[in-house]
Amino acid sequence: MEGKIIVVTSGKGGVGKTTATASIGAALALEGNRVAVIDMDIGLRNLDVVLGLENRIVFNIVDVVNKRCNLAQALIRDRRIDNLFLVPASQSDNKDVLTPLGVQRVAKQLKNEFNYVIMDSPAGIEKGFENSVVAADEAIVICTPDVSSIRDADRVIGLLYARSITPRLVVNRIVPEMVARGDMLSHEDVMDVLSIDLLGLVPMDDQVVVSTNTGMPLVMHNQSLAGQAFRRIAKRINGEVDLPIIVPSVKTGVWNRITQKLGLNK
Amino acid sequence: MLNGFMKKFSGKKSSKETAKKRLQFALVYDKLEINEMTLENLQKDIVEVISKYFEIDTKSLQLEVQREHELSALVFNTPILCVKKNKGYNSKT
Ligand SMILES: Nc1ncnc2c1ncn2[C@@H]1O[C@H](COP(=O)(O)OP(=O)(O)O)[C@@H](O)[C@H]1O
Ligand SMILES: [Mg+2]
Repeated sequence: MEGKIIVVTSGKGGVGKTTATASIGAALALEGNRVAVIDMDIGLRNLDVVLGLENRIVFNIVDVVNKRCNLAQALIRDRRIDNLFLVPASQSDNKDVLTPLGVQRVAKQLKNEFNYVIMDSPAGIEKGFENSVVAADEAIVICTPDVSSIRDADRVIGLLYARSITPRLVVNRIVPEMVARGDMLSHEDVMDVLSIDLLGLVPMDDQVVVSTNTGMPLVMHNQSLAGQAFRRIAKRINGEVDLPIIVPSVKTGVWNRITQKLGLNK
Repeated sequence: MLNGFMKKFSGKKSSKETAKKRLQFALVYDKLEINEMTLENLQKDIVEVISKYFEIDTKSLQLEVQREHELSALVFNTPILCVKKNKGYNSKT
């Protein structure tokens, strides 16, 4: 098997890299792929709790890269989703314990065993970023529709181009109501500023927090709008390149429509 | 940082318009490692040069950032009111 390594990165912290890695990884596995998600945020691990696998950690990515165990020992198999595996980060080390060369060696092994390997990168553009992108075939840049996140995304996009990787963009935490009244950049605005291909648009969704609370993968909640968006992103990655990108829109539920008809909405 | 230069272009638009303009200029400042002052001076110089040849409406000058793939372009836009017939700096007529 010759799988693909995809890095999820952003520059800025807290924009949704870990959420996206967990969701896209789980969704790709639900599509029938063998998937490994790797937490590269050494010292600040989180992918394990987001996926609800924190109680099963024995070895971690640092152990694998530094040959304290073999890859199979560090892979945690998800019991709810077939063919989904996690390699957690270590919590006690700092980012300097990994070397790009060591990561590349393990990445080669991973590619032989999985269709998709998704690397959750730490915030920043230093050593941890370097280690996360060194083996990447593709990159997903995550940003939110705010000035600082977009500026950081631009910086990261430049660094990826310098490595001959053409990244694709996911805009996360879109609040359609704010976009509608002109208080949040629309995805078109973001695309104007960044000039990069769009991979998907993810709305702000309370269900993200709920599923992190319970450790149940977001994409398993059928009603979650963010979950649905991530599932479509996974399908696009998985070859359905023409699947239309749905723009998060202001809710038009039955009640909203009735109140609109009656003129009760402002 | 948000001096006259930016204000001229942000006006009373929605907050996202302001955000977009600020971002576009921030990325130019970042890439070229220049600041607003440099752009203001550049604009002043350009106005001066163009004014030698044309009557221009300095109130509706616009400086914009346009991006395509890996290239950013500063686009300077000004309505030309009329040609200054005899005042051409290096006029050959
Ligand atoms: N679409 C979304 N809707 C609501 N909350 C979100 C969404 N995406 C991420 N979050 C929340 O934002 C926070 C940061 O997300 P996380 O994935 O940890 O970001 P990062 O890994 O980039 O630091 C988390 O609390 C997460 O639950
Ligand atoms: Mg994270």
